[in-house]
Amino acid sequence: MKKLLMVIFFIGTFSFLPLNSEESKAFESTYQPSESGDIVIEDARILTGTGKEILKGSILISSNKIKAIGKNLPKPIGAKIIDANGKWVTPGIIDIHSHMGVYPAPGLRSSSDGNEATSPVTAHVWAEHSVWTQDPQMPLALKGGITTFHVLPGSANLIGGRGVTLKNIWSRTVQGMKFPGAPYTLKMACGENPKRVYGERSSEPSTRMGNVAGYRKAWIRAQGYRNKLVEYESKSEEAKELEYAPTRDLELETLVGVLDGEILIQNHCYRGEEMAVMLDIAKEFNYKVTTFHHAVEAYKVADILADNGVCAAMWADWWGFKHEAFDMVWENAAIVDQANSGTGCAIIHSDSSVGIQRLNQEAAKAMSAGNRAGFNISPSRAIKWITLNPAKALGIVDKTGSLEAGKMADVVIWDGNPFSVYTKTEKVFVDGVLLYDKDNKSLPKATDFELGIINSQEDRL
Amino acid sequence: MKLNYKILISLLGLLISSFSLSEELLLKNAKVHTASEKGTLENTDILIRDGIIIRVGKNLLSSRADERDLTGMVISPGFIAPQSQLGIVEIELVPETRDDRSDIYSAGLSIDSAFNPSSTLIPYNLTGGITLSLTTPSSSGLFSGLTSVFSLSGSLEESLILSNIALTANISGGEDSMAAKILLLEDSLNLAAITDFGQSPFITRGEVKNVQSKKNGANYYEIYESSLPEEVSYSARDLMALKRVITKEIPLVIRANRASDILALIDFVKRKNINLIIHGAEEGWRVSKHLAEAEIPVILQPIDNIPNSFNELGSRLDNAALLHKSGVKILIGSHETHNAYLSRQGAGIAVSYGLPWEEALKGVTKNIAEVFNLNKRGSIQPGYIADIVIWNGDPLEVTSFVEEVYLSGKPMPVKNRSMRLKDRYINR
Repeated sequence: MKKLLMVIFFIGTFSFLPLNSEESKAFESTYQPSESGDIVIEDARILTGTGKEILKGSILISSNKIKAIGKNLPKPIGAKIIDANGKWVTPGIIDIHSHMGVYPAPGLRSSSDGNEATSPVTAHVWAEHSVWTQDPQMPLALKGGITTFHVLPGSANLIGGRGVTLKNIWSRTVQGMKFPGAPYTLKMACGENPKRVYGERSSEPSTRMGNVAGYRKAWIRAQGYRNKLVEYESKSEEAKELEYAPTRDLELETLVGVLDGEILIQNHCYRGEEMAVMLDIAKEFNYKVTTFHHAVEAYKVADILADNGVCAAMWADWWGFKHEAFDMVWENAAIVDQANSGTGCAIIHSDSSVGIQRLNQEAAKAMSAGNRAGFNISPSRAIKWITLNPAKALGIVDKTGSLEAGKMADVVIWDGNPFSVYTKTEKVFVDGVLLYDKDNKSLPKATDFELGIINSQEDRL
Repeated sequence: MKLNYKILISLLGLLISSFSLSEELLLKNAKVHTASEKGTLENTDILIRDGIIIRVGKNLLSSRADERDLTGMVISPGFIAPQSQLGIVEIELVPETRDDRSDIYSAGLSIDSAFNPSSTLIPYNLTGGITLSLTTPSSSGLFSGLTSVFSLSGSLEESLILSNIALTANISGGEDSMAAKILLLEDSLNLAAITDFGQSPFITRGEVKNVQSKKNGANYYEIYESSLPEEVSYSARDLMALKRVITKEIPLVIRANRASDILALIDFVKRKNINLIIHGAEEGWRVSKHLAEAEIPVILQPIDNIPNSFNELGSRLDNAALLHKSGVKILIGSHETHNAYLSRQGAGIAVSYGLPWEEALKGVTKNIAEVFNLNKRGSIQPGYIADIVIWNGDPLEVTSFVEEVYLSGKPMPVKNRSMRLKDRYINR
């Protein structure tokens, strides 16, 4: 009974643990956008990301934030006016599954830093420590409207390490790209990859049941570590002076962060039955799965995902590269979206430096496949699959993901309907700062790598 | 009496065949992208007889044709996958489902017998608008093997259209210098040029010696041994494939991206006088004038603009447009076999970066047929084989879908495994 009370006490006060404050100081974001001034984008067709569409609407940006959105907004004196007549405007696009920076281009062994494939549980590694900020894939993604992307460790391991959410800006340091206030995430992987990587070395796991045993063993260790922390924290100040705090454990700190709801699980998982098993593991250890990634079979368990409030991040049409990717349907995202009376959370992700440049087209394919199958999904709803929903799943929906007053001014102006192969971005703003402009050859800012790389007189692109 | 019976049977047969010979189909009132000089025709009819396009025009009539009103629909020629592993790969990461590689044969690898018309990828890509595949093995090493052409009919008996029509080689990747690969390419072709196998392709090294000695009195076995680096050897079958390249019977398709590599290859084929097609050509725009002058066509994946290696740092999305502008013939493919049909998205992206729409369509149809000599295919015009796709919109637009497919004028089921999975789960 005393123990139970202690646990309850602990849950209520966990955020005051010294462990946490130490952790939060490390590698803090130093990102600070330059002052945007006042900008009015007017006469645009706006998909707000909240499910609404505004015809001939305006957006007022002031000091890096969206100040107002609607029709006939007042124009502050001195504001930069952008006529967007005939253009479409959406929130900045968010890719919840990227390896930019950790698997940069060119793809060389020397900078292939995404998989710490040396042990099936590597919760102690952090993807941000691998990020090469000068990856030339990043400005290409920016041209595709990507303002925020989530970088994950690879999927060789059962628990691969921490992911990081980055603003898509040029920076010398990864800290300078880190999305301020974004929670950390933890990459987990189901299925073929971990069992193949370790099975080939004749070590555990070599089967899916081995995978599941591996997750559970890790969570049991995390629980034990947390109990130690709780026990220490529950001691009186005098008692604490008489002994050392438990030694920090990088691996278990991260897992405890998950158990306490501060670190969000991003779980690579293709098959329906595996997703259901992962949800039961989450129940067993009382944590939450935020998103299943590469959820090729999400449509088979769409109602279960909706019931559990779990998002599925999907491709529009990738399949067949692995056995677990054999059952792809074009309607996957639509079925997830429409599950349980439209309460599902569908996300289109890329996992690809090619796909990240046109998530709008991938969403277009998934939307039209759904509509062809009888759903009635509008562009204003489907845009959420690459804006609001990934923002939710990354824990940053209070800051970005939709065009609402008070949010970061992450905005894309398109030269037409973004749900078309022929449409391109014209302007991309990150926090109100214009970082891509089709009329300005010096944007996006080239990475260091690209300077003079094929012609000493020119940038690469 | 017996004779009469036989005559009766053959007469009956003639009658039946003449009935089936006169099968006509009239597709009416569609927007027709001909992929020919005629371009796009609004509100147009297509008359098909016995699988062949007979007429394309307005207000066509036929008393006996099966007529289809396609008002609001869009027709294009069937798309062609220019370099895919359709029919020889089921799951990429599962080696036991792959028939696309060999360590035993190199240039001589013909994959015809491995093609599986029942592969799930076949109906899937058919519903994406692909009607023909130039199926190509993908062995690593200098030579990947021979390309054959298959229809996506799914027919066990009649899928093979043309056998061994091109040889594919690789000069990028691996640890060996690009220069060494071009030298080996040259040495291999030289060896094939002086080798004469007579009638039998099944011949041992010793027999090569004997055959050659008898013919020319010289010991050609020694040449065979000494003209190649020690670790390289070819079977007679490999050398025969190379010989067909030297005689210009078939083209050589070489995967290359770097501008300087492309120039080296242009120089090489000029010296050797062979037909070359460059596959990849990501930096092709930098040497587009040279490619145009040498009349070398390129197979592109316009969607890929990532500087994946130091051999493709200059890759960019307007490559197709720039090459076309210089007069290079563009063939458009997809970088992956499972979604070979997504060549249409690549074509659409090329359009948004400046390639004229009609050229993009030709890139997935007519140009492929022309470059690989697929007779009477790849465009909609009288006399051509009626491989036709009916779309509900612009065939290059990502939101469009295939409504119907005709292969040689025959309607194909537009259904695949993925659709059946969707049907099972969508109303759960």
